[in-house]
Order: sequence, then structure tokens, then C-alpha cells
Amino acid sequence: MKLRKLVPPYTPLITMICRLALAIIFLYAGVEKIIAPKEFAVAIYNYQLMPDGAINLLAVVLPWLEVFLAVALIAGIYVHGASLASALLFLVFATALTINLVRGLDISCGCFGAASGSISWLYLVRELGLFVMSVFVLFFDRGWSYFFDSTG
Amino acid sequence: MNDCQQRSKSKIAAIIFPAFKEAASLFLIAVVVAIVFNALRSSGVPLFGFSPAKTVNIQQAKIPEITLAEAYYLYRQQKAVFVDARDPFSFEEGHVAGAINIYPDEVALHLAELKKMVSRGIVVITYCDGPRCPLSHETAQGLKLQGFTAVKVLVDGWSLWQKAGYPVEKDNK
Repeated sequence: MKLRKLVPPYTPLITMICRLALAIIFLYAGVEKIIAPKEFAVAIYNYQLMPDGAINLLAVVLPWLEVFLAVALIAGIYVHGASLASALLFLVFATALTINLVRGLDISCGCFGAASGSISWLYLVRELGLFVMSVFVLFFDRGWSYFFDSTG
Repeated sequence: MNDCQQRSKSKIAAIIFPAFKEAASLFLIAVVVAIVFNALRSSGVPLFGFSPAKTVNIQQAKIPEITLAEAYYLYRQQKAVFVDARDPFSFEEGHVAGAINIYPDEVALHLAELKKMVSRGIVVITYCDGPRCPLSHETAQGLKLQGFTAVKVLVDGWSLWQKAGYPVEKDNK
């Protein structure tokens, strides 16, 4: 088995880099939130978009979803599903951010656990960038097998 | 041309529809694991019981501040636990003698350690460096949220403590 196809066209390589970057981001974000669910619940509450009854449930489930997306993206299992879910998540995050930026609320982003910085337009750009990366992975991922030539 | 468009449309559909199924499976697995894990862990939260009034009151309540003299008095009486809210590197370079290091987003990780040190009548004093440093307040708020009631902030604590020549130590590992 040897590494191959690191020469042009670069699309599969770029896609793999995006895929792994997304995975690392999800893993970090998920673990930080799993460690402190109460604080994350407060961060969700501060967005003022969810009914109170659903806040804790979201604070418990969302971090694990992020961790499983990370695992799927790294392992190459259900990559299409994971990248689609990731794209939808970033779209939802971007919408929530936009609503509160327009409202002018000064709240913690909660993106990587409760102690992440206050929301700003820069965060929105980041979410949209990650959304584009997810869509890219969804349509252009060729899997790990592309990089390994088992006959070589 | 039309044929070409139709082909690319069906190609996109062939990727997206199975992807929805996969995403739904991942979501279901995450929901199950999350709920089981939350039920088993000691610091789990009630799934449907978020009480905004309580948590937001804590969040918005101003953490009382403490003067250097008072803090040092409690230190000498051994009635205070100092919590250094700065980053671990600054902590290693020097901190109030006996202090433990709790960066704001790591409050949940140090609960057990801190609970052992705090008993009745003991005040938790958080500090960081500089009069406008927010870390000590953030850590203090995190501690309040976790149920510690006697928490005070020593504003500009590290600089004041050092200048006063009170006991400090390096890397307590």
C-alpha cells in the first residue's frame, strides 16, 4: 500500500483536508460541550430562539451529534450523511447567529463550549465558510481508498 | 442541453437522498448515546427541566469582590481557597501559594477537586491579572452555577498579591 495521487487534480486532496478539518472542529466543539452541559444550556438559552423545555435536550444531544459527525468524517463511514448533517448544522448556526446579531444581543457564541467569545459578524463568516466546506465534502469526497493504491 | 441538465440533477439527487438516510441514522445514534450518557453521569442535567430564571439570575448576579487585605486575612486564617483563573502557562510561572488553576471553561473538570477543599466557612477567591481581566469573574460565575455559594473575586489579584509580597509558588505539580 502506498500513498498516491497527491498530484493534480487537487480536488480529492482539498476535499479530504476539508473533511478532516471539519472533523477536528466538531470533535473539539463536541467534547467541550459534553464536559459542561449546564453552561452550554445557558448559552443556548441566551440565543432566545428555543422554548425552555427543549433547551436541556438540545444541550445534551447536540454535542454528541457533533462527536459522531467527527468520528464518521474521520473514519470515512457515512461521509455523505455526516457532511449533509454538518452543512445543515452550520446553516442553522449561521441563521441563529444572524438573528441575534441583527437583534444586537451581546451573548456568548457557545460555539466551543460556554466560554467562547461574544458573537460577531466574523463568526458568521466562519460558519458560512464551514458550510461551504461541508457542501464541498458532500459532493466531491472520494474516500480514503482514493489515496491508497492497494495494487501498488 | 436539457438532457445534460437532467443528468446532473439526478446525479445530485443520487447523492443527497441516501445522505439524508445516513444523516438520520447518525442523529439517532447520537440521541441514544447522549441520553444514556447523560443519565449515567453524575453531572447530568434533567432533559426537560431547564429553569432559566435560576441560571440566568446566577449569571447576571454580580459576584462580590474582596479586597486584598480581606483576602490575605482569610488566607492566613486558612479560610480561603484561591482559584487562579488564568491560563495554565501563567499559572505554572507563578501563583498564590496553594491556589488551584481553573480556567473558565474548565470549571466542570475541577469540581471534585474543589469540593474536597471547600467546607463550611471556606470562601473561594478567584483571581486573574489586571484590573479589567474578565477570567476571574467568568470562573466565579461558573462555580456559582455549579452550586458554590461563597465565591468572591479579587480584582487584579495576581499583581496586587505579588506587589504586597505575599506567599507565591511556582508550578505545584
